[in-house]
Amino acid sequence: MAISVALLVGSLLCGWLLPRALGRLDVRRRDPLPLLIGWLVSMAGVLVAATTGLVLQLLPGHGVGGWAIELVVDCWSALHHGPAPRAELWVGLLGLVVGGVAAVRLALVGGRRFSDLARETRRHRSTLRSVGRRADSTPETLWLAHDRPLAFSLGGRRGLIVATEGLTRALPPAQVDAVLEHERAHLRGRHHLLIAAADALRTVFPFVPLYAHAPHALRELAELAADSAAARRHGTGTVHSALTGVARHTVPRAALGMAADAITVRMERLRHGDTGPRRSRRALACGLAATSGLLLPFLTAFALFLGLAFTVCPLPGW
Amino acid sequence: MHGLGELETAVMNVLWDADEPIKVRDVLERLDTGKSLAYTTVMTVLDNLHRKGWAEREHRGKAYVYTPAWSREEASARALRDVLDSSGDPEAVLLHFVASGSDEETDLLRGALRKKRIRRR
Repeated sequence: MAISVALLVGSLLCGWLLPRALGRLDVRRRDPLPLLIGWLVSMAGVLVAATTGLVLQLLPGHGVGGWAIELVVDCWSALHHGPAPRAELWVGLLGLVVGGVAAVRLALVGGRRFSDLARETRRHRSTLRSVGRRADSTPETLWLAHDRPLAFSLGGRRGLIVATEGLTRALPPAQVDAVLEHERAHLRGRHHLLIAAADALRTVFPFVPLYAHAPHALRELAELAADSAAARRHGTGTVHSALTGVARHTVPRAALGMAADAITVRMERLRHGDTGPRRSRRALACGLAATSGLLLPFLTAFALFLGLAFTVCPLPGW
Repeated sequence: MHGLGELETAVMNVLWDADEPIKVRDVLERLDTGKSLAYTTVMTVLDNLHRKGWAEREHRGKAYVYTPAWSREEASARALRDVLDSSGDPEAVLLHFVASGSDEETDLLRGALRKKRIRRR
């Protein structure tokens, strides 16, 4: 009981505190990729820790040993048998119901999201292919005869990049290449899929801040990561000019307070002229972010369990 | 706006690239699909395009001549409006280089901004 409760409380605690910690990091000065990975992995970590907690609660007698339990073996039975067996049964049943409902909802919402995404992607691809000129490049790139400078990408198994001829009129060739590289980075990083997954998680767990804030944060980080990728190949100055050039033709929604102004953040990051750390350092940072994101809920739970054990049952001789 | 099949798209491209109304045989000659097609296949495709409202035709002598119902630019604008307007759900379908509203939305925003500025004065 104690371990599973510690896991549940630990994952909830991480679900509350992690977005604050992650939100406090300055995305303008940091490499976006480790941050992106940190968000994703901690989202998975919290889910895994909570699931483990629920499953453990259902196992009779908890099939787990470990030195921590043996250390407090004397008072373990007190903790374990403390509440009346009936109460434990009810708590277990409640956990089963809550966990079951969440799992079913996640499966349903996730399934619907992904089938909607696949259907809309297919429909848009077919519409755009009917009118665009296909360029000889991978991933598939379509050029549309249209005056507004636009560029966007569609996800899916084979991604699609769409750009308008207005883009080539508004920007010099080097900047157009940078814009296309930005879109390619979205497809390489599977950003469409990641954001859709985060959207589904937010729908199911809107009360957990980690999941509530994730779609917005991931969107911003995906743009920053794609900018970095484009800047590594074409230089920060080129990407910055391209961003300015395209943004000039659109009304910034932030002017009406409709959305946080991601473009300002992107421009500030590009103005620093930093294309991010070297490859080996990036890999290290990404690995660290992934490991800590996954372990943090479990470590929190472990710390909670130890804290509980030490307060409730002082070690012999202490 | 419904998308076209691969062959229909290829035929539309021929119509758009042509300067004047063209016959089925001209389309067949200019098609570059990598495989040889039967005359009747192309005729059927043109017939479908006419039925779907993408192509217009008129009698010239014994045969029909075909023209695109709208220019490539008009078709692109329609396709873009279609895609951009419906991309709100699910939101992750499109990732823009710079997110922007549709034409009407942009006009609305411009109008609203102007009002905001005037009120501030």
